[in-house]
Amino acid sequence: MKKLFAGALLLASMTMQAQMKADDVKTFTLKNGMKFLVIEDNSIPNANMYLFYKVGSRNEYQGITGLSHFFEHMMFNGAKKYGPKQFDQVMEFNGGANNAYTREDVTVYTNWFPSSATEVMFDLEGDRISSLSIDPKMVESERGVVISERSTGLENSPWNLLFQTAQGVAFLEHPYHWPVIGYEDDMKNWKQTDLERYFKTYYAPNNCVTVISGNVKFDDVKKLAEKYIEPIPSQPAPPPVNIVEPPQTGERRVLVQKDVATPYLGIGWHVPEAKHEDYYALSILSDLLSAGRSSRLYSSLVDKQQLATQVFASFGESFDPYLFTIAGVASKNVNELDLEKAIYAELEKIKKDGVNETELQKIKNIKLMDFYSQVETINGKSNNIGTYEVFFGDYRKMFDAPAAYNKVTAEDIRKVVTKYFTKANRTVGILKSNTEE
Amino acid sequence: MKRIIYIMLLSLLTCSFTQAQSFKLPAYQKFTLKNGLTVYLMEQHEVPIISVSAILPAGAIYDGDKSGLASLTATALKHGTKNYNKEKLDNELDFLGASINSFASKESAGLSARMAAKDKDKVMLLLKEIMLEPVFDSTEFGKEKKRLLVSLEQQKESPRSVIGSYFDKFLYGEHVYGNIQQGKISTVTPLTPKDVQQFYADNYRPDGAAIAIAGDFNPAEMKTLVTNLFSGWKKGSKPQANPAAQPISKPSKQQVLLINKDDAKETTFYIGAPGISRNNPDFVAVDVINTLFGGRFTSMLNDELRVNTGLTYGANSRFSSFKNGGSFVISTFTAGKTTEPAIDKALEVLNKLHKDGIDEKSLTSARNYVKGQFPPRYETAGQLAGLMTQMFWYNFDESFINNFEKNVDGLTLDKAKEIIAKYFPKDKLQFVLVGKSADIKKIAEKYGPVTEVQIKEEVKKGF
Repeated sequence: MKKLFAGALLLASMTMQAQMKADDVKTFTLKNGMKFLVIEDNSIPNANMYLFYKVGSRNEYQGITGLSHFFEHMMFNGAKKYGPKQFDQVMEFNGGANNAYTREDVTVYTNWFPSSATEVMFDLEGDRISSLSIDPKMVESERGVVISERSTGLENSPWNLLFQTAQGVAFLEHPYHWPVIGYEDDMKNWKQTDLERYFKTYYAPNNCVTVISGNVKFDDVKKLAEKYIEPIPSQPAPPPVNIVEPPQTGERRVLVQKDVATPYLGIGWHVPEAKHEDYYALSILSDLLSAGRSSRLYSSLVDKQQLATQVFASFGESFDPYLFTIAGVASKNVNELDLEKAIYAELEKIKKDGVNETELQKIKNIKLMDFYSQVETINGKSNNIGTYEVFFGDYRKMFDAPAAYNKVTAEDIRKVVTKYFTKANRTVGILKSNTEE
Repeated sequence: MKRIIYIMLLSLLTCSFTQAQSFKLPAYQKFTLKNGLTVYLMEQHEVPIISVSAILPAGAIYDGDKSGLASLTATALKHGTKNYNKEKLDNELDFLGASINSFASKESAGLSARMAAKDKDKVMLLLKEIMLEPVFDSTEFGKEKKRLLVSLEQQKESPRSVIGSYFDKFLYGEHVYGNIQQGKISTVTPLTPKDVQQFYADNYRPDGAAIAIAGDFNPAEMKTLVTNLFSGWKKGSKPQANPAAQPISKPSKQQVLLINKDDAKETTFYIGAPGISRNNPDFVAVDVINTLFGGRFTSMLNDELRVNTGLTYGANSRFSSFKNGGSFVISTFTAGKTTEPAIDKALEVLNKLHKDGIDEKSLTSARNYVKGQFPPRYETAGQLAGLMTQMFWYNFDESFINNFEKNVDGLTLDKAKEIIAKYFPKDKLQFVLVGKSADIKKIAEKYGPVTEVQIKEEVKKGF
């Protein structure tokens, strides 16, 4: 019965291939090194533009922590043609909206607009990439904004405090040591010269991949890119990040105090970067542990043993080796150490008994449904295609992903659990009200 | 992040496309089964997925004094059915990569489902069992309740998670729109599977409910499938009362509710007033003006509180509408020590809207913006299914979508002035502040008589 499903899924997968395939992504690279990926999709009269800059908190050092994220904000604060406030005013006047996000590895700018405003978007982007003006007055008011952003994150979620503390202990040397938002004292002390250097070094066209999806024509996009972006000169490649986090040789534990109903627990294991061969097995493991109520951790810890009110595993793409995280909130009157032990017991079960084929097939089915979600909207297309291009080195890997997941065997899963989920390789963070006991 | 994604105005953001092309709602069919269940079907073939949205008259307004009952009932639908215990149900859905969610909001309860097109027979059957044949297993209920009680305690750790409930209670008072949908510790604690069963029997009924299906299917086949699955659902035995029909009393004076949180470093606040109901003929016009005032990045509020002064990461305003009423709020947060300048700035911007009004250029910008941002809101099968159940619930049809552009463009400067005067509050403002009372109580007193409560205590019946 269940085997039959697998066959049916392959068929479904082929249907999907007919609907969107790697060849639907057309690309070109400008003389200045900026690469464009274009997906024509006229399902709605809109389009988007996602710009992926290869810069994030990974490129910072102590003293300028948080600068990448702050810079993301400053990109909206005025350039040569469009002065302070005008980027947003012009975009919104033309029916567009925007946002941006900064991670450890990348800074991504997102514009969503009626496709008739495509040229305006190129004009706005070209202006700020070629000639951003960093006005000291804007720097001061924007500093207040990001300090408020940091504060409201900490005020409204215990996870922020727990994860940034645990991450600081898991990474002692690599720049993943500090939070993307930065340290408060660094936030108060960024200098004008830091910002100017950052712009020149990292906001070069050759350090950016741009993805455009929606109701556009490839030829039109290319013409606009040549007109507005190609004249911007390229820059020398940014300095490489050389630091490699030394192997962790013993368990690390950290406690944080915050007034909470029940303890929060977060455990991180060092795991490899996106391009590593173990990526797909680890990604399947993450779903196996916590996707859906039949997942191992939810079913065992939340439902059957009632040790946690919620539990989740998280693993994503990164440039350098990062963390596989399992986190949970203890139930009332449950000692967080019992929850912690129960998590390890689930991992040991996989080391010892492996996973069965039905369970593995379930995850592959879930992965396929996730894939559909990723390509269901023009925004999903741009964000995911850009992420694959930047993190995996080739957008085509996104279309190969269902097949790559299908190749993962039960033995592969057991192997990655045995290899990475050791005591010496983990960092345990606990946040609770009473840290004196 | 440059900004928190705004919760946009009203449950439905309504607009259409700016330029020559108009955005039209794709074709759909609507029919009613003999038992009164309304069904909507819309084909969408971009991905081999089917999305379902169901809406039922079983929201928190029917809670009575058992606050949280509607929400817990909706959650408990997934605790097992006649033919599937909870474990079997979870396994079956997860194996197919499908999902079925159930939830209650203030006025209604809802289910949403998503499945691969090839699995429609299996998943639609599960959906039908969950909706029509839940068993409310007492063991599962006990576990769910325990988790809910912890989560109610946890919400008090986050001002943003609780301020809305306090505000609704403060604004609506004894009216059922003030009901707290997630419940309170004191009212959830005594709830039993019997309560849930009774609530289900009283309020989950085909007459007054709708199910909308959008995605990759053949409509004739789907019509047969839905008819076969749902025709056996029995009508409610007695007419359902409408507790929301009671008049909503308006605030008689400006006043402040201060929620003390001892470890707060920020003040999170709403400044609000009564709003409009969903069927208000000026719904679209109000949306456009609010976009300009507090509904987008360059809005008057965000420009002043964030861009010019750096007092906050974000400030916005919104109208939330129900069938018989609604609210308006200005919403933001700031460091404890800048509480007073932030509140004063927000009030200053509201006064400016009344005093100086708006100009043609900014009105054009707002019109373009709401039109340009519209189509992506109705792009996926899930969004379209959700839209159709909203059409049912609030009694509108595709003309609302298809004429939206025309309606937006029809908003003149004169009409805009009337809208501002009529719907944006000038006085009798209701302030709700979550912060450290020791530092901000004196400031709060500036804005009206202050009622102080502790975040660790329960929301009271009335203030």
